[in-house]
Amino acid sequence: MSKYVYSRRAFLAQLGLVTAGGVLAACAAPAGPAAGPAAEAGAGAAPAVGAEVAPGVPRAETLILEDPMGRNITPTDFNRWRPGITTASNGFQQLALDALWYIDPDEGIDGVWDNSLAAEKPIYNEDFSQMTVKLREGIYWSDGVEFTADDLIYTVQVQKDTPGFGFTGQFARYVDSMEKPDDYTVVFNLTEPNSRFHAVFTVRWNACFLMPKHIFEAQPDPLAYTFYPPVSLGAYVLKEHDPNGDWFIWERREDWERTTLARFGMPAPKFAMYVAPGPSDKKVMAQTAGDLDVIHDMAPEGQITLARTNPTSRSWFPSFPWAHPDPTLPAVLYNNERPGLDNRDVRWALTLAIDIVRVAMASYRGAATISAIHVPPTGMYPQYYFEPVQDWLNDFELDLGGGEMYKPYDPEAAVKIADEARKSLGDLVPTDLEEIKKYTGMGWWKRDLEAAEKLMIKAGCSRNSDGKWLLPNGDLFSVALLAEGDTRAVMGRGAAMIVENWVEFGLDATHDTRDNASRNAMELIGDYDAAFGWTIETWGGHPDLFFFLQSWHSDLYAPIGVNANGRNRMRWMHPELDRIIEEIQKLDFDDPKGVELGIEFVKLACVEMPITPIMSYNVFTCCDERYWEGFPTAADPYTNPVPNWANSRYMFVKIRPKA
Amino acid sequence: MRKFVLNYLIPRILQYFLVIFLGVTITFIIPRLSPVDPVEAQINRVMMSGSQVSPDAVISLREALTEMYGLEGSPLQQYFAFWGRLLRGDLGPSLATFPTPVTTLLARAMPWTFGLLMTSILISWIVGNILGALASYYEKNIPIQIVDVLSQAVRPIPYYIMALLLLVFFAYYWPIFPFSGAYPPGTQPNWSLSFALTVIRHSTLPLLSLVLIGVGGWFIGMKSLTSNIISEDYVVYAENAGLRKNRILSQYIMRNAMLPQITGLALQIGLIFSGALIMEVVFGYPGMGTLTFQAVMANDYSLIMGITLLSIIGVATMVLILDFIYPLFDPRVRHQ
Repeated sequence: MSKYVYSRRAFLAQLGLVTAGGVLAACAAPAGPAAGPAAEAGAGAAPAVGAEVAPGVPRAETLILEDPMGRNITPTDFNRWRPGITTASNGFQQLALDALWYIDPDEGIDGVWDNSLAAEKPIYNEDFSQMTVKLREGIYWSDGVEFTADDLIYTVQVQKDTPGFGFTGQFARYVDSMEKPDDYTVVFNLTEPNSRFHAVFTVRWNACFLMPKHIFEAQPDPLAYTFYPPVSLGAYVLKEHDPNGDWFIWERREDWERTTLARFGMPAPKFAMYVAPGPSDKKVMAQTAGDLDVIHDMAPEGQITLARTNPTSRSWFPSFPWAHPDPTLPAVLYNNERPGLDNRDVRWALTLAIDIVRVAMASYRGAATISAIHVPPTGMYPQYYFEPVQDWLNDFELDLGGGEMYKPYDPEAAVKIADEARKSLGDLVPTDLEEIKKYTGMGWWKRDLEAAEKLMIKAGCSRNSDGKWLLPNGDLFSVALLAEGDTRAVMGRGAAMIVENWVEFGLDATHDTRDNASRNAMELIGDYDAAFGWTIETWGGHPDLFFFLQSWHSDLYAPIGVNANGRNRMRWMHPELDRIIEEIQKLDFDDPKGVELGIEFVKLACVEMPITPIMSYNVFTCCDERYWEGFPTAADPYTNPVPNWANSRYMFVKIRPKA
Repeated sequence: MRKFVLNYLIPRILQYFLVIFLGVTITFIIPRLSPVDPVEAQINRVMMSGSQVSPDAVISLREALTEMYGLEGSPLQQYFAFWGRLLRGDLGPSLATFPTPVTTLLARAMPWTFGLLMTSILISWIVGNILGALASYYEKNIPIQIVDVLSQAVRPIPYYIMALLLLVFFAYYWPIFPFSGAYPPGTQPNWSLSFALTVIRHSTLPLLSLVLIGVGGWFIGMKSLTSNIISEDYVVYAENAGLRKNRILSQYIMRNAMLPQITGLALQIGLIFSGALIMEVVFGYPGMGTLTFQAVMANDYSLIMGITLLSIIGVATMVLILDFIYPLFDPRVRHQ
């Protein structure tokens, strides 16, 4: 045996021993504080005494929530006022920031509207050219400095004067000057009447949160400043975080009573930990094992698994469809400038070609909340808009041509979806008609290919020898439906089914899946036929529709080739729409006439069908009651449970440790 | 020696810099041909962030961001400005997470990716090549046949499924390894032995998933290469001469089959710099994969450039090193 061969073997042997030893030692090393999730697995298992999620952070005193942003690649950048930060929803905007007002997408902890840092609602003068804000007294930043009018004025002034902040444009456009009559009052003199100026300070998902003047004014460049460690105005402060951005631990302030949340009592969890739990399957495993109290969202299959296997999991609805309906409305956006799609009869034909039952089954396995009208069927909107227009919808008629009138509304659509879902989910799907309507919506448009055919012919379209639809000029009528891919599987699946429906109708339709950035760019510039996505978002709890209608006015219309300035990506304009928007703008935010105008908008949109409303975006937020109970549900809708929303902070004062 | 320097070394080094120059130039151009505009992507994030944003504010924000991101001026002006910054070692700020410097993001993510992927590539390469050669030379050996079947069976399994299976078995049902992350929550990275052991423990499942999939490729490649060599005259001669089988395998067969595998290894090491996205997502492991994904999604020109630059330099450098050390492995190259 040569020396060389011997040496190599000896080296390999030694290397193997060292490697094996290292691995064994590592495996034998004491498990980290967050031991393998199955260590405490078992449905309904009691919290392990002394278990910690991190050193000094007892599991029993910690609420663990998902941050859907995933890994925060800039974990020490907390300048929330600059676009692009990744730390917005890691607990920062929920637990450490505060705003003047909050509007809950559901019923709210003490009504839909909450005066948070403001002591009362915004006070406008008669022509809405001046807004006065009265601030609460006795609210303190976590470093002991009192919150005053100076902070509010600084927040507005620094953003107005420094291009690049998220609200620079709004403040530069609307704020002429500010006055401070006393330390707790600020008067905004506006450049022009604006009855919705307060919206910029009003949290729905977020808003313009307040900046600590004493911290930011000391910085040479407030825009570049990272605000780390953040000084908190909320009830929690940042305790520690992962340098790689996978988890953030917040600790309840000793002086939590000097924050606005204290009006509702002490936040129960001493600690809150926001984590990036990974893909849907992993979230299900983590919650089953008791390592994730609040899942933000997951695939419908994950929700079904939890409903069947983890008795402590609680969702918004106690059973099918489980999910919390966001106050947003996924819809088929038609490019109203494209030939064919510029005709409302064609848009209506495409609507009647959609089989909502199959779309709901494909996207959400039936757990969808459908909407026939152009507002989300969520929060308080069923009372504000859906119930008042039911009779009108039942009587609503389309002119199919040749004097033939047709009633397209199907009030039983939701029941059909429930019946279909029951085939696979059995008893999980309710049978009570009222429950079904509450959970899955009130009705939708009939799938009627015969009526759709008549509308196409009325619009001048015809079929070729293959049965495909042609435009009036004889060109093949092709529609590519732009849609999201794997990032939101429910949207991709829904789009695929809509395309299938259209192909069955004889349309040359294709499913064009793109990444978010490309899709956004194409919609903005108008380089698309149709898209399955969002343009309508609302407050949820408050009926004001100006939230999205503001950018639908024809003054802001951008034709194909010019980037849309806001949400009017379908490029629809109508004189009646302009009138409605202008009248809403002249009203006080809470004026009941706003709902009447909103209903007028709903009726106009039904007639014109610029986009086809499909359903609310249902978020499968699931809370585990192993350690905490009292999470918001449809039966007790005191706030939105979706944990990246800033108003999910109200959950912290309502939940309590599991006995 | 002078001939070597003039005819081989200097041209090879010039070629190295030319490759980097062309690579960087192409990488500068490609994102700008994309329909995605980083400014519009950022505005969209603001618009979709759930607050009421007036259309006037959007116009103002568009102008401000275009100026802040340095996207004003012609593409040629931007190109020269980019090289100017690059030669000063400045990759500029990330656009999607402005104003965080690209170098900060890379420095935070790179060590994790480099440590795990380098280890997994080396283990896969060593184990795959040894097993592949053994499977070819001892084709009737039952244990080797079992390994052969297993390697070929594991190879086609999609990585995501393999990773999830490992997680389910070894972190959920039989929780001997952690569920997520490179270290437990509440732990701050440090240079201690206990932290190193913790990282090894947390890295075991990600490593295993990469190795199991990686071994198969090297195994099949080596088996294929050696199966041609074992019938060569010099191998038959060595067997007839009575040399031990292990010596024939290592000195006569494997050495002659190694060159393509070494080339493959060098290229794979060069590609480390773009990370392993699915592994990072499934195991919650930090690294370049997430960074690359987020950069592409937001069309963050600066960050894409930074990551690609690393990758181009990595591949080019590994190929350069390979060119220099080839003669050590193969006397034929030395002779040429």
